[in-house]
Amino acid sequence: MDFYELTTDPIDITSVARRVVPPECGATVTLDGYVRKFTKGRETLHLVYEAYEPMALKEMQKLIEQARSLFEIANVGIVHRLGKLEIGETSVVISVAAPHRKAAFEACEWLIRELKRTVPVWKKEVYSDGEVWVEGDDPKYSLPNSTA
Amino acid sequence: MSVRILFFGATADVVGAQEIQLSPTGGETSGDVFDAVLRDHPGLRNHKLLFSVNQEFASRSEPVRDGDELAIFTAVSGG
Repeated sequence: MDFYELTTDPIDITSVARRVVPPECGATVTLDGYVRKFTKGRETLHLVYEAYEPMALKEMQKLIEQARSLFEIANVGIVHRLGKLEIGETSVVISVAAPHRKAAFEACEWLIRELKRTVPVWKKEVYSDGEVWVEGDDPKYSLPNSTA
Repeated sequence: MSVRILFFGATADVVGAQEIQLSPTGGETSGDVFDAVLRDHPGLRNHKLLFSVNQEFASRSEPVRDGDELAIFTAVSGG
């Protein structure tokens, strides 16, 4: 069974990984993405994640459908955390179950790359001397700014 | 007619609201509404902006209908 969720609660990585396991599969690859303390040399105190929730869920569902058409995989689970996260806390978990591990590794890498380009979630980095909303550097969709 | 325009993260900070309502006179495209918001909130021009209509990424040429939910936000940064 596939699933895709947003939550403000801490994510239990093991339970995400086990939920995708069907009997015909032989491997699950799970990404545990968590909050990094230093980005480009600057020390982060904590992060705040915000989402356009209904659109984020739709985009996560589309990614799973696309991944299934691209890779020989069975089930996918994606859980993204929202709200305030401390250093080292898990922000996103992606688990991919497949009959064979190669497809699971490839699909998991593809899914996190595309999630970071398409799913409307934003992170704010909070420092001791300020805060900034991070803007993605490789959006899949872009709109020319108006000249009006 | 009336449309809602949602903002998130950096764009909500610039606009000072998470949502505004506009009343286009009719016949506008998503790009027309987008331009109107940028005229009212020129600080948005400092960002690379994305745009959605009814929770789907949109171009500037989508027709806008009464009750539509538009959103303007910066390049996503989840994960």
